[in-house]
Amino acid sequence: MTIKPDSISELQELLPQSQRVDEVSLEAVAELIEHVPEDMTATVQAGMSLSEFQSRLAKAGQWLPVDPPHPQVVTIGELLACNLNGPRRFGCGTIRDWVIGMTVVLPDGRLIRNGGKVVKNVAGFDLCRLFVGAKNELGIIVEAAFKLLPLSEAEAYLVKRCESLGQAEELLENIWTSDLQPTVLDLHRVDGKPLTLVAGFAGPSADIEAQSGAANALGFAVETSLDYDARFRQTAPHFTSVAPGKLISTLKNLGDESFVARAGNGVVYHPSAKPKEVPSLDLQKRVKDIFDPKGVLAE
Amino acid sequence: MNCKPNKEQLTRRLAEIVGNDAVLADKRELVVYECDAYTLQRNPPTAVVLPRSTQEVAAVVRLCAELDVPIIPRGAGTSLSGAVLAVDGGVMIALTRMNRVLKIDPRNRRALVEAGCVNAWITRDASAHGLFYAPDPSSQTACTIGGNIATNSGGPHTLKNGVTTNHVLGYEMVLSDGTIEWLGVEPDGGEEVAGFDLRGAAIGSEGMFGVVTTVLVRLMKTPPTFKTFLCVFESVDEASQAVSGIIAAGIVPAALEMMDQLITQALEEAYHFGFPLDAGAVLIVELDGLPKGVEQQAKRVEEVCRQNNASEVRLAKDDAERTALWKCRKRAFGAIGRLSPNYVTQDGVVPRSKLPVIMRFIRTVSDKYELRIPNVFHAGDGNIHPLILYDEREPSQVKRALQAGHDILDKCIELGGSVTGEHGIGAEKIDFMAKQFSKDDLDAMQQLRRVFDPDKRCNPHKMFPGAKRCAEFAQKKQIPA
Repeated sequence: MTIKPDSISELQELLPQSQRVDEVSLEAVAELIEHVPEDMTATVQAGMSLSEFQSRLAKAGQWLPVDPPHPQVVTIGELLACNLNGPRRFGCGTIRDWVIGMTVVLPDGRLIRNGGKVVKNVAGFDLCRLFVGAKNELGIIVEAAFKLLPLSEAEAYLVKRCESLGQAEELLENIWTSDLQPTVLDLHRVDGKPLTLVAGFAGPSADIEAQSGAANALGFAVETSLDYDARFRQTAPHFTSVAPGKLISTLKNLGDESFVARAGNGVVYHPSAKPKEVPSLDLQKRVKDIFDPKGVLAE
Repeated sequence: MNCKPNKEQLTRRLAEIVGNDAVLADKRELVVYECDAYTLQRNPPTAVVLPRSTQEVAAVVRLCAELDVPIIPRGAGTSLSGAVLAVDGGVMIALTRMNRVLKIDPRNRRALVEAGCVNAWITRDASAHGLFYAPDPSSQTACTIGGNIATNSGGPHTLKNGVTTNHVLGYEMVLSDGTIEWLGVEPDGGEEVAGFDLRGAAIGSEGMFGVVTTVLVRLMKTPPTFKTFLCVFESVDEASQAVSGIIAAGIVPAALEMMDQLITQALEEAYHFGFPLDAGAVLIVELDGLPKGVEQQAKRVEEVCRQNNASEVRLAKDDAERTALWKCRKRAFGAIGRLSPNYVTQDGVVPRSKLPVIMRFIRTVSDKYELRIPNVFHAGDGNIHPLILYDEREPSQVKRALQAGHDILDKCIELGGSVTGEHGIGAEKIDFMAKQFSKDDLDAMQQLRRVFDPDKRCNPHKMFPGAKRCAEFAQKKQIPA
């Protein structure tokens, strides 16, 4: 069943009474609790959409450095529960790197807080990391605190068509060992279009000018958007993950299949990818048994 | 743990696993292991083992499980919170002989090391490839990567790059029943790992979840340009304003450190770097990145500091001067020995914007307890390190020093912060856990502990209220004023 509480306390009442919860809609729990620009931190309820959150932060020239597809519909809760991300992952990391505190309703109705709202904090065990990517199978994230970054003064996204995977590999090696510091490093072959390498830069304007110049020298030309990611992932939501050094051999094995690859991360979205199987570790099972002994939250 | 095996039997069986030369059980040999860098509580372990492989660690842990003896994992013993104190005896597993850098993998920007590997050795070996390991605790030339995982260590350069949990990709851990698990990214694997993030959940668990034996870390590309400023202010308030100003200008420096007058004076006396002796506060601001961007930001930083009445903004003229400056900063705690026979290093966090408030509060605490409290800290992170000076020969000073620390940490909580930013709870800060967290919050942490160590045999009597204390400490606490 889907539950749609009006408040956090109602969620605390509903969860323990439920046999099986497939989905929790937190539309009603969607306030910005606090944004302190001087601290570069913000605390927000899980029901707010990512784009709404970003537009609030942008008023003070800051942002949460993650860029998953469809930020208008992705909520903060989903962002965390599914560990969503996009092309800027290479330069910015994932949401796991930015969350500093969390409030969670456990299946038995307890409301727990972990971490806090300061950027450095090692008091107690780190449950935040555990709940990120746990798909709300251990508890429902209702609020989270993040550290933020200033919005980049300038950005540039450049593309270079490649004749072959071999050529792409050579270019990637060049970039990898150069002084370039790309925020985005994608390789894609989508919609029947040629193989394309994308390098994106973000930071102080003087840097972006210099880096764009250096990228131009490698044959990169200007492009304006990273829209291909969201578009492609609608048809290919799953990925294959390999060490970055094995990227090209992995892509060769795909034959003619379309793909969008985070070349710097070794993450390849392609239609035939299957959701990754959870290892059958005792520990994995024990986590679920201990946090949700009655199996209220659907796996 | 009622029917403990006798010590002789335990020692003999340990020696059967690791050999005689890797077991310490003699009283004199154990003295080294009776405390870490937090010296207010001491108690020797029953025995210390120095294993050379994961297999040996697992066999030792299995033996301890069989005999129901506590295990205490230990790296270099640089913890400042009593994290490796053997409160109730037990077998201390010291990882210092498992200290190799196993592999530097430049193509994947990773390094595989043994848990006893010293933090600074990773960068030493990776630098030939233009790479470095980012977290840099001040003790980095001694502390081990396994210990860094236990406390989720930070350091001066965590403002921009993050702490241990952001840089440790995966690791092998021996659980308290002796099973060996690899958590997180595997050495040749992809960075996406299915299932619950047990890797992240166990970083910062202060050795209470198991014994880390092998570690895979992320390496970063060494930035081509550094600019390191020493900015001199008349007061801590003005320096704090400059910190806020730099952040407000949209700049995230690689490091943003503050030292007050007592610290700079002690450092100057010890290392003769050239710190001004009359300055109320000194900021170290380090920018790194590409040349043009660093140049642009450097101008802005200088402007902000001048606007906040910096009397001097000095740029480290070359790499040697920059290195010397950081060496001084990282040895600040050591220089304090010149000011006082004893000191407690505190570790608290406040939201960055509350720095002026907490610094003023520390001054009132210093006055109230009549103790000098120099400050050297990670201003960019709001992570304060007041050093409370006392003389243990005067019992009332010990008591006042403890109380002063408590007042400061209480204030950190009140200001929305935390009682520890990088040193951990250990044996030292147990009493604060119930102040910072609710009972439900703590119960949830205990649930996580049950996942890893249902018998609570791994590094027991730490972190949670109600834990057993060392007898000696109890006496110290009762010293009358």
